[in-house]
Amino acid sequence: MGERGTRSLVEGMEKPASRIDDVPEEKVIRSLLDNFPATVTDFKKLRKGVIRARIERRDLYRCCKFLRDHLGFEHLSMISAVEYDKRFEIVYHISCYGSCLLLELITSTPKDDPSVDSVASIWGGANWQERESYDLMGIKFNNHPKLERILLPKDTLYHPLRKDFKGGG
Amino acid sequence: MWINMGPQHPMTHGLWNLRIKVDGETIVDAEPEVGYLHRGIEKLCENRTYTQIIPIADRLCYGSSLTWSHLYCLTVEDLMGIEVPPRAEYIRVASIEMQRIASHLMWLAAYAADLGAMIGFIYTMRDREVFIDLLQALTGSRITYNFPRIGGVAHDIPPNFERDSLRACDYMEKKLKEYEDLFDGSKVFMMRNQGVGVLRKEDAMNLGVTGPPLRGSGVKYDLRKDMPYSVYPEMDFEAATHPDCDCYARYRVRMDEMFESCKIIRQAVQKMPKGKWRTVAPRNAPAGTGLGRVEDPRGEGMMYVVGDGTDRPYRLKIRSPIFVTVSAAKKMLVGYKVADVVAIMGGLDMCIGETDR
Amino acid sequence: MGNVIVFRSKDFVKWADGVLEGALRRSPIGSGVDYLTKDFFNWATRNSIYPLHFGIMCCALEMAVASAPRFDAQRFGIIYRSTPRQCDVLLVNGPVSKKLKPALRRLYDQMPGPKWVIAMGECAISGGPFYNSYSVVPGVDQFIPVDIYIPGCPARPEALIDGFIKLQKLIKENKKGLLTGK
Repeated sequence: MGERGTRSLVEGMEKPASRIDDVPEEKVIRSLLDNFPATVTDFKKLRKGVIRARIERRDLYRCCKFLRDHLGFEHLSMISAVEYDKRFEIVYHISCYGSCLLLELITSTPKDDPSVDSVASIWGGANWQERESYDLMGIKFNNHPKLERILLPKDTLYHPLRKDFKGGG
Repeated sequence: MWINMGPQHPMTHGLWNLRIKVDGETIVDAEPEVGYLHRGIEKLCENRTYTQIIPIADRLCYGSSLTWSHLYCLTVEDLMGIEVPPRAEYIRVASIEMQRIASHLMWLAAYAADLGAMIGFIYTMRDREVFIDLLQALTGSRITYNFPRIGGVAHDIPPNFERDSLRACDYMEKKLKEYEDLFDGSKVFMMRNQGVGVLRKEDAMNLGVTGPPLRGSGVKYDLRKDMPYSVYPEMDFEAATHPDCDCYARYRVRMDEMFESCKIIRQAVQKMPKGKWRTVAPRNAPAGTGLGRVEDPRGEGMMYVVGDGTDRPYRLKIRSPIFVTVSAAKKMLVGYKVADVVAIMGGLDMCIGETDR
Repeated sequence: MGNVIVFRSKDFVKWADGVLEGALRRSPIGSGVDYLTKDFFNWATRNSIYPLHFGIMCCALEMAVASAPRFDAQRFGIIYRSTPRQCDVLLVNGPVSKKLKPALRRLYDQMPGPKWVIAMGECAISGGPFYNSYSVVPGVDQFIPVDIYIPGCPARPEALIDGFIKLQKLIKENKKGLLTGK
């Protein structure tokens, strides 16, 4: 499935660009839909150059690797963690230098198991941002090289940004 | 053997700890340690109304505080869907570029003082006062301004602002040429900066480095030109880059940025339209998300706000450029001598207030 | 072989204090020397205040500007030193977080007496805008004795220089002889 996907992308780039291909946002949406049909859903164009999509957390690592290697999204801007009533949402903002796009990729985890795969091996800039999300919100990142507290003292027992932490407001 | 440089160290502007492992005089490993200034701002913001957060956003990075309160107002305006009147946009751009020059001059003062050229500290602080006086006439305060509002700016420009800004730009361009002679003509300064702290282009892009360190490694990416916001599309300026990836390139990029900022200030003050300077924003924000992204003097700053229908944000996430740039310190430090730490880390222009939030 | 006396360093300090310096201090020579030199040493102390190079947050920018050409604190004898062993004054100019608290207490303990502490800015006085945060100590006088409080957010450089002048007055009022301590 992946093989067919990459070959069709390469073929698409050799053909003369169609009218849809002129709009870089549409190109990104189309290639994500081609390669990850089941797991990447719910596309929305927020404003010029900003796209939002949702992804299931089991495919996060593969999708991020695809974004960096094939679509040219070389820069991870921000990793945010938001806590809602019944889930945690982790929002990745990934930007592309070449075509000046920003992709907002949202993944959610259940409340009792807040863990996702770490993308620190794909983008080095994710290393400290994931440590900060662990420190303040308690999200665990699998396969992170050094998941330790970074802003609070090392022996702190709580995660302050959680909604059930009543203090510091 | 691990050595602690910090948290109290004359080189570290702000409180952070740099642990280096040395073999003789050469550095073989480095690990920065931050968190001494953590104030819990993201939790604090969940209990303040949207207008009460503006002075707190100022105190995120006090070296360039107008940029952060402007970024916060951009984010909330994106969430609420408000249009800002054109006169307010021009006032914002003019004041932000003045703040950019003041921030770079502050960096140059600390950098020159650390490298031993005390005269750099004296001259640049004197010239920074020119812009601080302009900003004080505009906003009322010297460093944390509390000037942008959600929907515009707090008040109109004072009389003679245009004349004073044009005079300040002319004065600054003369002085910048003097600084170039002073620093580029000094053999010691050049030796301490050229070839030191090399960060290659691929490493800079992968490690999330943004701002002058990225543009000093040859990547021409400036958010004011590539993903413009406010009235930057109507301004005519260049993004400064430099192909060598060392400390001298980062210094050169900041000097060029100061020249470009003078150009932008001239255009903004002369093209300013007449009209209102503020639209009143609603008290409650709709449920949804807002995203703001600006080119801070230190890199790419972003804010992500989640609103829930009340007058307080549900979640406010702040992306600090220096937080990510400092994590790339190891790549830049390994292989150089202990005495080069000052030039390398000083060249990143660290402001710990935004790192630790 | 004559008598050899062996001391550990702590015991030697106690012995010297008791026999050499202590005798001088308790005798009328000590109080006489103090009476003659007290004013001179006090004048020298209050006109050469050496603060520590320690900047925490926004007020640290105003501290740096106070040494700049426009406000020029050096004409009062204020020179910043990098190591706490050479300083008189600890200038705390920002909020103290719980991670910083042991480091700051250690800096204060490393300074030799006589020493003073100035709390500059609202954050050092009471926590400032972050007073109810989970990781900020509300006021530096919770764990360090403070002599001078300079309000402001941020405190203007003129206010800092005024604070130093008030510290000079405070030193003048509490004149103490260096030998006897009275």
